[in-house]
Formats: sequence, C-alpha cells, structure tokens
Amino acid sequence: MVDFHGWELPVQYGGILAEHEHCRQAACVFDTSHMGQIRIRARPPELNRVVTQNAAALPVGRCQYGFLLNEAGGMLDDTILMRLDEEEFLLVVNAGPAESDFAWVSGHLPDAEVVHQSAQGWGKVDLQGPLSAKVLAPQSDAQLRSLGYFRVTRARVCGRECILSRTGYTGELGYEVFAPAESILAVFRGFATHPAVKPAGLGARDSLRLEMGYPLYGEDIGVETNPFEANLGGFIRLDHDFIGSAALRAAGEPTRRRVGFITRSRQRAWRGNEIWHEGRAVGQVTSAAFSPSLGVSIGMGYLPPELAQAGTELIVKTPRSDLPATVAAWPLYKQGTCRTKEP
Amino acid sequence: MSKIPEGLLYSKDHEWIRVEGGVGTVGITDHAQHALGDVTFVDLPKAGTEVSQGEEACAVESCKAAASVFAPASGRIVEVNASLADDPGRINADCYGEGWIYRLELSDPGELSRLQTPEQYRQMLASEK
Repeated sequence: MVDFHGWELPVQYGGILAEHEHCRQAACVFDTSHMGQIRIRARPPELNRVVTQNAAALPVGRCQYGFLLNEAGGMLDDTILMRLDEEEFLLVVNAGPAESDFAWVSGHLPDAEVVHQSAQGWGKVDLQGPLSAKVLAPQSDAQLRSLGYFRVTRARVCGRECILSRTGYTGELGYEVFAPAESILAVFRGFATHPAVKPAGLGARDSLRLEMGYPLYGEDIGVETNPFEANLGGFIRLDHDFIGSAALRAAGEPTRRRVGFITRSRQRAWRGNEIWHEGRAVGQVTSAAFSPSLGVSIGMGYLPPELAQAGTELIVKTPRSDLPATVAAWPLYKQGTCRTKEP
Repeated sequence: MSKIPEGLLYSKDHEWIRVEGGVGTVGITDHAQHALGDVTFVDLPKAGTEVSQGEEACAVESCKAAASVFAPASGRIVEVNASLADDPGRINADCYGEGWIYRLELSDPGELSRLQTPEQYRQMLASEK
C-alpha cells in the first residue's frame, strides 16, 4: 500500500506485470475511489465559463475530456465532463487537486448546485480490458451495445444504482462505475469474483496509461503547462469563452511539446532524467516505466517543438547509463480495444 | 515467510553467496525479490571487474524501484548470468537457483566471516518487522 494524496492505495495485488498483461488480454478491476467526483447542477452556458469542454454542445449521455484552467491558461486539472441530464453534470477530477477543484468550480458558479460527492462517500470502480463487456453484461441492465466510447448512463450494476460510463485510463475497452460507498463495494466484489477478472493496482494503472500516452496530472502536466504544450490542444475547442481561453488565444506557438519515447532496452528511465539530442540537453523526462506490452522501457517528456516529431533520435541520461530512445507517435501500444464498436 | 536456504551466507543488504572451491555465486534473497516485485531489468556487471566487499557490483530494476546489488565479498567477477538480460523474471521465480546474478573468484575468503548464517539472517529479518 502507498499513500496517494492521503488515500491508501495498493500498488499491486498479484504482481504488476501479470496485472498489466491481464488487463490487455482479459479484464482487471481497479479501485479508483481516490478520484474526485464533482456533481454539478447548472445551466450549460454558465458551466461553459469554467470548463474547457463545451457543456452546451455536449449531448446528454456523452462524456468529454478537458481541463480546468486558470486565467493564464495553466492546467489546474485534467477532467472528464459527463452530461447526465439537460442541467446535470458529473465532473471527474484527480485525487490531488479534487478539493481545490471543488472550491474553484463552486466559487465560479455561484448560482449552480455543486456537490463534492466523492468527499461525501461516493466511490469509483474501473473495469478495464477486452473482456470487460462480457463481464459487465450479465451484471447490469445497461444496453452495452449502445453505450459507445465516452458515453454515460444511469444503470444498475451488481444490483446497485450507479452511474456507468464507457471510459478509462488503460486504452482497453472498459467502464467506470460511480456509486455511494456501500454500493461501490458490492460492485468491486461483483467484478473481482468473476473468474475472468483480476484486481489490479496503481502500478499496472501507471504502465497501462503510459503505453497509451495518457498524461498523469502532477507528473506530466500541471499548472505550469498549457494544453498546447502538453500536446492536448486537440481537446480544446475555442468555440466558447472559458477561464483561460483568452490566454490560450493570445499564446503564441508553444516552445515545448510533450512527446512519448521508446527505448531499445529493458532498462528504465526516471522522472527528471535529462533528454539529449545531438550532444546537448533538450528536455526532461516527466514519467517513465518498463512497458510490459512492448518489452522495452518507455516514457514521456517535453522537447522543443522541432524535435517533437516521431523518429527523432534521443539519448535519455539515467544515473547509470545513456539510453538511446526514439520519439514515437501515441499510442505507443497500438492494439488497445477502447474504441471497439462491438463490445 | 521468506525462504532462507541452508548452506548459503547472507549480507545485511539482502544478497546471498554460495561458496564452492574459492568461487562464490551471488544473488539476491527471497526477501529482496519479494520487496522489489517483478524484476524488469538487471544491469549485469562485466566479467573481469574487481569488486570489494560491500561495494556496488550491479543493479536490478523492478516495476516499483531500482536497487543496488552489493558484493558480499571481495574478488574478481568471473561469470555473469547472461540469461537475465532477456529473462530478468528468473530472479522472482527462482532467486537462489536460475536467478543467480554473477560468480566471484574470492580474493579474501576470510571476509566471509563478516556475513550472516541463515539463522542470523532470519533473525535480522524478524527484527526489521
């Protein structure tokens, strides 16, 4: 167990490599109750001033990835906004900034009803892996065929009233289930006792997300990075005004970009290692791991934009050796099932 | 409960050494491999390298951490377990057998008296809990 922003979380249950591979091949269940859940009852045009997602254009039953930004365009958090009803939303945020996110959102929406539901006992369980729909279907009344990628619905799961979304942090077909504590425990048990499912911890969650290029807030992105530097500009629609939008419009071309790299060795890089190109330091590693799916170590970091193209040769300076690496397009692992049309 | 086979000597840093005819075979203990978790990489030493007792001889990396492997005795490294390059998981599966890391030609067998017997190592682990 490790302390993660005040939450006691398991790094592993059986072994990180086995959990990682099981998630890619079958299905794993993750206790992600540390993540923040902010329930918002608001008129969409008002909510649009606070989140980068276009809440007004988001159809009911859909989810969208985006950010809470400060006035300077720096990321206070990365989030998923889920539209449950015309004026009801669930904003899923990270554990570390959850409390400040809640204060930020409620402070900027004085006329809305904003509830920090994860602080009031709501938990979350993720079921992830190519077999997750087969595991979930007999335990839920949801129409999984029509619950496409980044859709959300209210549903019964393991006999409990829950919010069910087809989202995740692994790159595999998968679901996130939101419910009050006593229900979420039943959901976790319901999934974990299925013969195809193994529980997985933070360790596998980290290597799975790194293979996909998903950033980890506080490591790869933060208040000092804007979404364009983080190579997440594709998630920004400057079709409405929100806190930080003026700064993003005024910002010139980014002077650095977040990239993924693949090494040719099992030896891993570490956060903070310098990245070199043609004999000079050009950037830094923000996170790295051994990739069980690729059999070599991988990572991500920031480079000048002119070096951010796939194929750029790098040297990552670890304390023990110089690791040759190549900038690679995301996802680094290409066989993820998250977008499958036939769950 | 960690496995602590008889017939080996143990360092405070959780290495083991099996001495046969002036040559010591070295690896990490069951306690160490369990604490590290899945080993993903072994930075093997080079054969021919001279090491002193207590000096770092090589390193292992796992999904969770990196750890130095110290020389339990002084000498010259005469052989390394090259199979660990492609299959470092042998350290988890069989740390006292196929997961051995290197062999050392001892330069001062008298140093072995500074290492622990299985019983002493067992007591050290118990006192650390």
